[in-house]
Amino acid sequence: MDHTSFLERWFRRVALSIIVIFFMFPIFWIVLMSLQTNETILRSPPSMSFVPTFDNYLAILAGRLDSNVASMGINFVNNLMNSIILSVCSVAVALCLGVPAAYAFARHKFKGSEDIAFTLLSFRFAPPLLVLLPLTLYFQEIGLADTYLGLVWVYQLICLPLILWIVRGYFEDISPDIEYAYRIAGHSWFSTFRKIALPLAGPGIAAAGLLAFIFAWNNFIFALVLASADKQPVTVGALAFVTASGIQYGQIAAAIVLSIAPTLALALWAQKYLVEGLSLGAVKG
Amino acid sequence: MTDTVMTRRRQFISPRMLPYVLSLPALIVCIGILIPFVTAIYYSLQRYRMSQPWNREMNWGENYVRFLTDADFWNTLKVSLVYAGSTVVLELLLGLAIALLLKKRSRVNNFISIMLLLPLMTAPALAALMFKLMTNPNFGILSYFMQVVGFDDFRWGSSPDTALFTVILVDIWVYTPFMMILLLAGLRSLPTQPFEAAALDGVPQLEQFWRITLPMLMPYILTAALFRLLDSIQQFDIIYAMTQGGPGDTLMVFQVEAYLNFFQSTNVGRSAALLLILWAITYVLSNIFVKNWLRLRERAKGGA
Amino acid sequence: MYDKEKDAIGAFLRGEMDRRALIRRLGGLGMTAASAGTLYNMMASNALAADFDWQKHKGKSVKLLLNKHPYTDAMIANLPAFKELTGMDVSYDIFPEDVYFDKVTAALSSRSSEYDAFMTGAYMTWTYGPAGWIVDHNEWINDPSKTNPNYNWDDMLEGVRKSCAWNGVPGGELGSDDAKQWCIPWGYEQNNLTFNAAMFEKAGVKVPTNLDEMLEAAAAVQAGNDGVYGIGVRGSRSWATIHPGFLSAYANFGESDLSNDGGKLSAAMNTPGSKEFHAKWVKMIQESGASDWSTHTWYQVGTDLGAGKSAMIFDADILGYFMNGGENAMAGQLQFAPFAANPAASAPTPNIWIWSLAMTKFSKDLDATWYFMQWASGPEHGLFGATEMDFVNPVRKSVWDSDLFRERLNKNYPGYVEMHDVSAPGASIKFTAQPLFFDLTTEWAATLQRMVANEVPVDEGLDQLAQSMNSQLSEAGLR
Repeated sequence: MDHTSFLERWFRRVALSIIVIFFMFPIFWIVLMSLQTNETILRSPPSMSFVPTFDNYLAILAGRLDSNVASMGINFVNNLMNSIILSVCSVAVALCLGVPAAYAFARHKFKGSEDIAFTLLSFRFAPPLLVLLPLTLYFQEIGLADTYLGLVWVYQLICLPLILWIVRGYFEDISPDIEYAYRIAGHSWFSTFRKIALPLAGPGIAAAGLLAFIFAWNNFIFALVLASADKQPVTVGALAFVTASGIQYGQIAAAIVLSIAPTLALALWAQKYLVEGLSLGAVKG
Repeated sequence: MTDTVMTRRRQFISPRMLPYVLSLPALIVCIGILIPFVTAIYYSLQRYRMSQPWNREMNWGENYVRFLTDADFWNTLKVSLVYAGSTVVLELLLGLAIALLLKKRSRVNNFISIMLLLPLMTAPALAALMFKLMTNPNFGILSYFMQVVGFDDFRWGSSPDTALFTVILVDIWVYTPFMMILLLAGLRSLPTQPFEAAALDGVPQLEQFWRITLPMLMPYILTAALFRLLDSIQQFDIIYAMTQGGPGDTLMVFQVEAYLNFFQSTNVGRSAALLLILWAITYVLSNIFVKNWLRLRERAKGGA
Repeated sequence: MYDKEKDAIGAFLRGEMDRRALIRRLGGLGMTAASAGTLYNMMASNALAADFDWQKHKGKSVKLLLNKHPYTDAMIANLPAFKELTGMDVSYDIFPEDVYFDKVTAALSSRSSEYDAFMTGAYMTWTYGPAGWIVDHNEWINDPSKTNPNYNWDDMLEGVRKSCAWNGVPGGELGSDDAKQWCIPWGYEQNNLTFNAAMFEKAGVKVPTNLDEMLEAAAAVQAGNDGVYGIGVRGSRSWATIHPGFLSAYANFGESDLSNDGGKLSAAMNTPGSKEFHAKWVKMIQESGASDWSTHTWYQVGTDLGAGKSAMIFDADILGYFMNGGENAMAGQLQFAPFAANPAASAPTPNIWIWSLAMTKFSKDLDATWYFMQWASGPEHGLFGATEMDFVNPVRKSVWDSDLFRERLNKNYPGYVEMHDVSAPGASIKFTAQPLFFDLTTEWAATLQRMVANEVPVDEGLDQLAQSMNSQLSEAGLR
């Protein structure tokens, strides 16, 4: 009995170590690369001994990039700003639109409510290009081409269904009795919603908002199709950066680190909410 | 009865309209998105290349009929299914294994499960770029490992033989933690009595797993697998960032092929038809998924 | 500031001083070559300004969509001269080549007025022109009130200029009398040999002068050098695999992509001559090509040569040019030679790639945009780019005639000028202009890949290809 559990313990340890290495190594390695010069990166065999340098980050933040053909200006900081603008605005809009709708679907089983809710959710699962390609032809005509507004609107395809469905689950979990009691006391519907329902569903709204932010930040295809150079977020910008800089590998790594750092930091900071959101309501909040 | 209705009338502003008013803004935003969808259906029924505007005409489904004899289409379907199938199965097995290892709540286990969130929070397109750097033949660490274990000429994404493996690896790296999180939540929510009873009866661990854990976990497994399947069959980011569908047509999944059809050969009709077929597949899958998911939610609520 | 320098340049422009004396003089005054060039250009532009109202569109602004390229770098380096000359402003977006043409298609298909002009290849205009996205530039070229008298359109190399003109009829001859000038040539590439002289010497191999010799030379030089493969050619599943060395050699045997029977197009790559050529080409790649040939774009073809991994390339001459400079391991060791694949042919017939400029139809001010176009494709900028920057190959005869340019090339790029002179007369686009160009040519490349991978025999593969192409041509109403 003791023997097997000893074996089992070791098996567990080894297995978990392998798993941690597999999932952590790429991030670890990219961070290492970003702190090296091209010479140390290109050493063979690869080695972990080097004098860390922040030159790659400085070059990116300064916006100057030297490649083998020529020196070029690259506006990666602008890409970072775009990512922040697009993600924050998209989530804000999605929260304003989605939370009241989620409440309506949770509290009022009205005619066609399930159908509408499902239709909204199905946007999450439809192929994005199906909508994006015709949109490229329409956006110019209605003046939304190459505007943040147009992109934020399209980003609702990602953010809105997410918020709607996660938050709806939280509203459903709150007993309507509390709200009813409050309303009986003579309060208006709106103040009930604001003072009772919203705070109680707070963790759910936070989880949905955080997830929506991360998905918006990580989105690639929407901006690839619709955004021009000066509206590109980091995901598209990094790809362009790779092909443009060619062999400045340290700077590419630094650009990737800068691009993923915000979502990773957010994940570590708010992991409890994220796990709840990601579990699709399969666990209780 | 009339009395209560009257009270309600006084308390809310048109109670019958309220839910519609609340959900209307969200709906309007989304209906704007329905217009391009209808447009896409219309395009898919046309012979429509932007390079031959004079040739544009309705051809009523000829685009779809041509798919039957179009080797490229069957290749696209095959690659998409192989990609989606293998990523979902592998991620499911791996995710389940990790969830089982982390099942017990402990400081170390919690720490590990937080660490595993990080790949999932990385943008898939950027994850592909990270792996592209790591598999670079000149300095990539993974290429070096391959040399060490004796594969001198392992070319990862740039060889037709290993390109699919490479993108699947990236997909696994990014999305296995999702499976893990959902299954871990499922495992931890299972009632304990059956296990205690089985332990008392001296049922071996493995048999416990097959006869108790797995059946009870099934709804979670189904939900997680369907959710990933829906995403995976539409994969674009990883493949486009890694190889743009190449080498050759090795990685021409639906969305990549449609993207290239639209932007490179400006064949709008074919591109739209491809996407509608993909949409039909995802529509069926998403219906099954939502049914499963709602059942799961009911159970989660009831169980707690 | 710069008064002495201005005097010297003025003397040169008045014909009182020759070029070499000017350069010496400016060097003596402590000017770097680059700033001398800019100054020279400003002066030259000022001289032009007398005969033409360059300031007519002063205060207006033009926006460009550009590909990341040395040509772009050269143009941007010289932009201050344009701004000074015209008082106009220029802004631009630059994208890397992977996504560049998708961006162009996106901007044009959505009829965006954001960009006034963009970089393009001639092949792309076979889509953009009929789609109604770009203008016929003849309207501006032939209008003396809009084009400066020194523009000298006829100075453009004829084969290049005509390759950018098409009447829009599928199969229509390029540069015919009714052709529309869809784009203005900017810089171009011929496809010839660039080889590593040291490797050839080590293996005791002579530079090949026809296809059979090329097969032998590639195999021999590969055998004689460790870890080196014989010949670099492109192989990715893309139209770009067909257009460089492959089509240049193919056309040299008198073969063509499509046959045109009174406006009806049919595939023409299943002729006996074509099959023989394909068989040799496939054999060459199988024996002496890169092991991952099927992923090679111009980028890998170039970097392998530059890194000393391949002994020669049959690709764009300017690719060899760039690999012979910069930080490449083989910089300074590469040499150039013209190549005629057919022993019976009198001269090479390189297919060409032409980086061009085109105005979009949706530009809000085409006349102002044309000011930029005629400056960017004009003789002064051509000379500046070719002598001060890496703006090779220029498309103007006057630049090729410039001693300054020829000397610069001869010094560092042995054989380059001669190669150009020998093959330029036969250089033009060898494809049939038609709207399915990208689909059909990409399929051609895919078939080539299958033949190299031994998935299908050459003659069977070509028959299948021709059949598939014909059905697509029929479907599109072209056959």
